[in-house]
Amino acid sequence: MELLINLTINGLSTGMLIFLLASGLTLIFGLMHVLNFAHGGLFAWGAYAGVWFYSITSSFTVALIGAIIVGALLGFITERLIIRPVYGDVVPQILITLGFMLVISEMLKVVWGPNQIAATVPPALSGSWEIGDVLIIKYRLFIILMGFLVFGIFYYILKRTKIGLIVRAGVINNEMVQALGINIKRVFLLVFMTGAALAALGGALMAPYSGVIYAEMGMDFAILAFIVVVIGGMGSFPGSLFAAILVGLAGSYMAYYVPDLSLAVNMIIMVLVLIFRPQGLFAVKG
Amino acid sequence: MEHMLGKINLKSVYFWLIVLVFVLFPFVIDSRPMTILLTQIFIFAILAMSYDILLGYTGIVSFGHAMFFGFGAYATSVMLKNIDSSLTVFFLSIIVGMVIAGIVSFLIGLLTLRLQSHFFAMFTLAVSGLFLVLAEKWRSLTQGNDGFTFRAPEIFSDRINFYLFVLFCLVLVFLLLRLFVNSPFGKVLIAVKENETRTKALGYKTIYYKVVSSVDAGVAASLAGSLYVVSLRFVNTSMMAIDVTLNALLMTIIGGVGTLVGPIVGAAIIELAKHNLSILAKTYPIFERWIIFFGIIYILAVIFFPKGVVGTLKEKWEGRKMVRQQAMKQKEDAA
Repeated sequence: MELLINLTINGLSTGMLIFLLASGLTLIFGLMHVLNFAHGGLFAWGAYAGVWFYSITSSFTVALIGAIIVGALLGFITERLIIRPVYGDVVPQILITLGFMLVISEMLKVVWGPNQIAATVPPALSGSWEIGDVLIIKYRLFIILMGFLVFGIFYYILKRTKIGLIVRAGVINNEMVQALGINIKRVFLLVFMTGAALAALGGALMAPYSGVIYAEMGMDFAILAFIVVVIGGMGSFPGSLFAAILVGLAGSYMAYYVPDLSLAVNMIIMVLVLIFRPQGLFAVKG
Repeated sequence: MEHMLGKINLKSVYFWLIVLVFVLFPFVIDSRPMTILLTQIFIFAILAMSYDILLGYTGIVSFGHAMFFGFGAYATSVMLKNIDSSLTVFFLSIIVGMVIAGIVSFLIGLLTLRLQSHFFAMFTLAVSGLFLVLAEKWRSLTQGNDGFTFRAPEIFSDRINFYLFVLFCLVLVFLLLRLFVNSPFGKVLIAVKENETRTKALGYKTIYYKVVSSVDAGVAASLAGSLYVVSLRFVNTSMMAIDVTLNALLMTIIGGVGTLVGPIVGAAIIELAKHNLSILAKTYPIFERWIIFFGIIYILAVIFFPKGVVGTLKEKWEGRKMVRQQAMKQKEDAA
């Protein structure tokens, strides 16, 4: 039982980190049909920014906020410089965002050096609670709470506010939204910056969790995020949460019970989804 | 008609002349580093051409090309190390790599090519990422990131022999791929690239064409991998990393998509640039981060120079020819 709870917490916390990355990816794709291959780079920038802010201010709140701001700024630059020129042109878009991924990942090495950097858990969140026989690591619980908090906030915005309505309508039919006199490009810029900020927040939360950060971490996580987007359905916000938790839990259980299969399990889920429900589990009707 | 025949002959004469120059090259200029550099360029030219079949002729973006390169690389190095380092095993290993690459690219294509192009890019990226982890974890076979060295077939201990063999492969692959893209089948591929919906409406099963194209590209990439490890006599997981895919992408884009010659030129440009930048990096450390320069050039090329070197030259040349023909016609009309 204790083992099961711990595995579940591990899986959920990894799942939440992937969710933060995948949710932006999926909304950006849903709204403008732009698949941002540089998203993992924004995640890595978030991680570095978080660690850096934490090392100067030694306040984890400042670190998270700093990472979010850095992410949003980078998102602004990406959208204006990289996505705009090739807007609506699928192949150049895919090519150029991957190129940008390369550049920003290398820039990390220029700014902070090519070596791995250690990241520490802030004192308030380090250690663990003992509940009965079960040992719960505080920081992992914190990540899970943050993930649900972010999901709750954005779910509320999407469902209850005007901008959320515009975004949801845009995912279903962005031409129609434009025809109603809404500047969808401005909405898109906003969504893009938000997605980038979420990715950066994910990175900043990831750093103390894994203990070290390195420039290539963006690509590693981006691959998981892509798997999640395929499983959850491109453009679906709840779908990305569900799929991220699924991937996180599957990875955590498999790594313990059938370690040899832990790699293949994501692959198998993705292939099954592509065969039986290629639009994803929570496809948005468009 | 006669005029056209003459032109085709002239073109192939130029082609074989260039091949001849490269065949004679190592005998005239006896420089080991130069031979090795050219060998590398030829190998990457094969890889980039295989990429061009996908990107330039079928209009699909794959981010998993490193995986196919890696299949060839590991098939050859594992077999040369564990069986023996004879020429027969080498040829067998090339075939094994190609078969694995063919099967995997067939399955991937079948699964994702009927969907939007994003899926193929994403799926190939994910699958190749997973294969990279597999190669890192399966240490008994691959020895992970440390890699292992092995003996190449005896005959290739002479660098010139290997150079000639790689050149032969390059010419063969070029001719075969040119045959492929100029065939009626290749014309359908170009139609898919230009407008898939219309091609479908004309009654073509486009998925079939796309899958064949992806298998073709995968198999050719595997050959490049097999050759590459023999040139280094070493293999490790970096040969399956995303950098290989990016290299192929960069070479194809800079050289010119959809031209087949372009990727060869691109391979030469990129390899020479890398070679010189790594020399520069010894004095100016900033050049150690050459990926940034390449990345920026690549982004600018995608936006402003989408046809690449060869594509742009070709366009200029054909434009001039058209002007000349028009002028001639006007003269005739006047007379």
